[in-house]
Amino acid sequence: MRKALVIALLLAPFFAASQEFEFGKISSEDRLFDKNKIDSNANAVFLNEYGTTRFSFDSETGHMRLIHKYHARIKLFNKESFDAANIVVPIYKSGSGNNDQEYISDIRASTFNDQNGELVETEMSNKGIFLEDKSKYLSLNKFTLPNIKENSIIEYQYTIESPYLFNFKTWHFQTSLPKLNSTYVAYIPANYKYNVSLRGFYKLTENKAELSSGCLRIVGKDMDCSMLTYNMKNVPAFVEEDYMTAPSNYKSAIYFELEEVHYLNGSSQKYTKSWKDIDYELTSNREFGAQMKRKDVFKQILPGIIANSADELQKAKAIFDYIKKQIKWNGYTGKYSETSVKEAMEKRNGNVADINFALISALAAADFDVEAVMLSTRDNGTANKLYPIISDFNYVIAKVNIGENSYLLDATEPLLPFGLLPLRCINDQGRVINLKKPSYWIDLKATRRSSVTHSLFGELTNDGKIVGTITSISSGYDALNSRKEIKRYTSVDEYVEKLDERLTYLKIKDFKITNVDSVEHTLIEEYKVEFSIGEPGQEENRFSPFFLNAIRKNPFKLNERNYPVDLGAASEERISISIALPDHFKLKEQPKDLSVGLPNQGGRYLLQTKLLNNNLTVNQQLLFSKAIYTSEEYHYLKEFYNRIIQAQKTDIVLSKAN
Amino acid sequence: MKKILTFALLLVCLVAEAQNYAVDLIPTGLKNRAHAIIRDSKTVVDMRSPDQVLLNVHTSITVLNKNGDRQAQLALFYDKNTVIKSAKGEIYDEFGKQTGKFSLSNFKDESAVSDFSLFEDDRVKYYIPQVNTYPYTIVYHYEIKNKQNLIIPEWRPIANFDVAVEKSSYQFIYNLTDEIRIYTNNYKGQAEEQTLEKQKSMTWSVEGLPAVKHEPYSPNPDTYFTSVKVAPKNFSYYNFKGSYTDWQGLGKLSYDYLLKDRRALPLETVQLIKDLVKDETSDKSKAKKIYEHFQKKTRYISVQIGIGGFMPIKATEVDKLGYGDCKALVNYMQSLLDVVGIDSYYCVVDAGEEKTDLIPSFASMEQGNHVILCLPLNGDTTWLECTSQDAPFGYLGSFTDDRWVLACTKDGGKLLKTPKFETAKSQQVRTAELFLSKDGKISGNLTTTFTGSQFDNHYFLIKKSSAEQQKQLKYLYDINNIEFNSINLTANNDVPIFTEQLAVSIAHYGNPNDSRVSFMPNVFNLKRPVPAVRNRTLPLHLKRGYTDVDSLLFQLDENVIPVILPKKMEVTGKFGTYIAEIKMKDGKLFYYRKLMMNDGLFKPVDYEAFENFVNEVASYDRIRVTLALKNK
Repeated sequence: MRKALVIALLLAPFFAASQEFEFGKISSEDRLFDKNKIDSNANAVFLNEYGTTRFSFDSETGHMRLIHKYHARIKLFNKESFDAANIVVPIYKSGSGNNDQEYISDIRASTFNDQNGELVETEMSNKGIFLEDKSKYLSLNKFTLPNIKENSIIEYQYTIESPYLFNFKTWHFQTSLPKLNSTYVAYIPANYKYNVSLRGFYKLTENKAELSSGCLRIVGKDMDCSMLTYNMKNVPAFVEEDYMTAPSNYKSAIYFELEEVHYLNGSSQKYTKSWKDIDYELTSNREFGAQMKRKDVFKQILPGIIANSADELQKAKAIFDYIKKQIKWNGYTGKYSETSVKEAMEKRNGNVADINFALISALAAADFDVEAVMLSTRDNGTANKLYPIISDFNYVIAKVNIGENSYLLDATEPLLPFGLLPLRCINDQGRVINLKKPSYWIDLKATRRSSVTHSLFGELTNDGKIVGTITSISSGYDALNSRKEIKRYTSVDEYVEKLDERLTYLKIKDFKITNVDSVEHTLIEEYKVEFSIGEPGQEENRFSPFFLNAIRKNPFKLNERNYPVDLGAASEERISISIALPDHFKLKEQPKDLSVGLPNQGGRYLLQTKLLNNNLTVNQQLLFSKAIYTSEEYHYLKEFYNRIIQAQKTDIVLSKAN
Repeated sequence: MKKILTFALLLVCLVAEAQNYAVDLIPTGLKNRAHAIIRDSKTVVDMRSPDQVLLNVHTSITVLNKNGDRQAQLALFYDKNTVIKSAKGEIYDEFGKQTGKFSLSNFKDESAVSDFSLFEDDRVKYYIPQVNTYPYTIVYHYEIKNKQNLIIPEWRPIANFDVAVEKSSYQFIYNLTDEIRIYTNNYKGQAEEQTLEKQKSMTWSVEGLPAVKHEPYSPNPDTYFTSVKVAPKNFSYYNFKGSYTDWQGLGKLSYDYLLKDRRALPLETVQLIKDLVKDETSDKSKAKKIYEHFQKKTRYISVQIGIGGFMPIKATEVDKLGYGDCKALVNYMQSLLDVVGIDSYYCVVDAGEEKTDLIPSFASMEQGNHVILCLPLNGDTTWLECTSQDAPFGYLGSFTDDRWVLACTKDGGKLLKTPKFETAKSQQVRTAELFLSKDGKISGNLTTTFTGSQFDNHYFLIKKSSAEQQKQLKYLYDINNIEFNSINLTANNDVPIFTEQLAVSIAHYGNPNDSRVSFMPNVFNLKRPVPAVRNRTLPLHLKRGYTDVDSLLFQLDENVIPVILPKKMEVTGKFGTYIAEIKMKDGKLFYYRKLMMNDGLFKPVDYEAFENFVNEVASYDRIRVTLALKNK
């Protein structure tokens, strides 16, 4: 007996780890918790967090609902952490009916402060709870804890009742605060089948499935459930960094999607299914497949649009241009049409799906082989590829196949050329949906390198001025960004005027900008410029040859990086300067010629300075040959930039040769 | 006769309906540099009774290009006291042909709460037109009923940059018995007055105002945009009726009905405060001790409830909860001071980086947006910011400095001016002892002190974690490869002065070569050039003066041969003074820089001289020194 007790005691802490903890029962361990054990930089730490979600049958309405209970205990170490005591719980709704919205109840919250060695509880009164009716689809339940001081422990719990079974309740192990212990228990009735996926870098400490009998009662009948327990210990805080895609790709969390339900009457309904089922569903959906075949909308106007097109590619481009001009994007993403192709054409605006389905329909009307590609944008995270999770996708574009080639098209950005997707779409892979054939995955990559060439051709005059022409030629995302910048101003003149004001060291005498609106062509900017590098009669002229797009700041400042660096697209920048000098000049000082590379041909930087036949040339090339660099490559990238910055610190000194 | 009148009225309506919105009717001069043009805007405010003020707006706006789209959006805020009665509109193309229309049901409805605020009922209905061919014209008609007349909608014919006005008018209608006060700013001419049967009306109008461009370092837009404000003597607000005609009266009213009798405290707290200050002898030292206790106990949470957001939560509540908004916290601090008999004033201020005064000649309720506390202390006037948990006792930052505020006292309102930061006393003083190695690396220690308006430049770092301090300092000292090997931050809140001691190393700072190393001796304080502005139209406003001193001593590698150093650099003018010099001192290279930037308001033509001044400083700041090395 005694032995058994000892064993039981020993076991107890292990069981306790993934069990609900009692409200307000704060151990001395919690009170004295030293943050250095988990993160010396933490302002606050979740000491414990526990949640459950189970089903409940509402016999009055006959609807199934989820009951989600949440409970957290947080220690606040300093004033910086006090925001953690301001709680906002989002409550979703899709209408006003009982079954169209979530409800929050049983909110309980308390603050515990050490007062002369004793723990004193201050309970939050219900007067401190506010409900903000944020919008049609969202309410915010807000409360803040009373009597917050440094080293307070706060604890709160609430229950949410939800009619939204499809995604169950996601559990976020990783948030902006580190967590000592986080446990989630999902009770899923035997007749419900969910796809469950874990995202993020960290592994579960515990993951078990047990039988929970009689967990749900429906019309007098007890049902069994799977009781799934997920636990993670010592979860670090999530810190967002530059050049990173959606945080949801990297944050540790458990996601659910309803796959199938078997009803008591023997029938069953599939929700998330095989791609085959999804293909059928999408192609027959009124807001998806039906909008892909609205050829009727375009039959009449089509001949006018493609009248001057010589070949198939020209025709496709003409249609793409027409849709870009005709329908303005209202800023909303979505894979389903908000109105319809017809209405979007009439109103001349629509969401992403409206516009791209219009493009698909128009291309189909012109007898192109065209498909839709469903994707998830960069800030939405990457789509799960193990099994179909339809709700992962939030965007749809067109894919047109012409001869051997295929082109991915998004008509929402008027300034993008044919075949180049906006950066938001460059995110892993998308799913091609064809009206007749099975769907498949396709890579979403920038089809062309972003490239820009700046060149200065000029001469040095006797009074120490450089007079010449700067020409910038850009394509890909570089051209897009420049065009967007130009379009910020009312006219090109105004843009150049502002540019001239900004570039304090030089004067723009004249300019010519070509192809601002001809987005299929490279953007060419030419500026006649003049700037001074010395005074008349001076023996030496000193100037920095890095006055065009110099790199002075390293974008990578942090010493460590946990996540990949995602630049979006490969890019290349060339800068060349060629200056004719008066006779008898020599190079007294110059930047060292340099050639540095990134490992695995990841990129390079070249710098070369020459004086030949009274002509001074400085050439630079900066190349990033891929879009994504791993966290291991981070240090190379950082050092690469350091070398470039270092090289660009040196001036050129010209002196008169005697 | 009566019939003809009706007919005439009908005609007027018809004419109004048939307005032509063709874009080529806009006078060419107005289109110059404008993103949008207000074609015709008519605002009518009809104050039928104190609890019924109707706002009727009919406005048409032509958007010339994408940048003007924002002007075509409409947001109507409402709450329990403000009802949107109707809103609708039409869209016209370039030629004035109607292409669409919309009604209130097309507006989106959302709560109008920013960040974390425990707030109930402020909401907004907004409409964002989706038009993709320019130019286009949007016409709005809306009617709003205000159930109060404490705050009357004001008129700003131009509210934004890059917008021109063809025609705009504001009519205020009130009963013959009403007494009203009027404030006009930058309005030329007189209002047109009309007497109707039982009402009177005043109308202000403007025509052909060209667009104003934003220019850097320009004054508060309030000083050059036209506006008209109206305030009635007798008002009604949330079932409360009162009257005032000046700040004295408004302050008295606020004190009597919003502030008085909300300062009672539980006995325990009273005793706690008494015990806390029992060893202090002066009122000031007592107040300081109480303030420090107050800062530990409370935190700021926005809670905009109670008489439309004007009445503070009672002191007992704050005592229990430990949080409150600015009103509640100021009121609570007052109650704590009451315990030991220290008098204090609840002061309404228009807070923000931009210094905005309450208009001394015109009292009205909506001019302030924040509350601070003033302690007269027998002539040793001390100001307290009560929403900060770490502001020094008696310190107001650039959020509330140098402006007129309203003190609400039991004897009525008083306008007081908050303290101004003096140029000479707003200092950043840095000394450093550094070592420059021949491979260009810099390492050593620097100590920087911050006072006056510069006190809080880096003060926020003090409560951050060490990893966060490292990260933030890398952004503040934006120097490639800078590493902070030790960080020591201290604040003496009595002065107040903030001291930052850093051990730094900067790899590859200097640029080595076979026989020489070149570097920029001004490591930490580079003045940024200011942009050129062609045809400057707005005055130049330098809001706050400051003084920066940098003294950096570089120990050099033993192999360095002394070379000729640049001569002393000096720039002087009405905008400030600058001295920088580089010299050898006991075998070390010494860099000294002092920049004093004055504050003040200058003429538009002075901008070019200002630009030259700053750009000359900026170029001297970047001077490089090349040192030759002995060949080994």
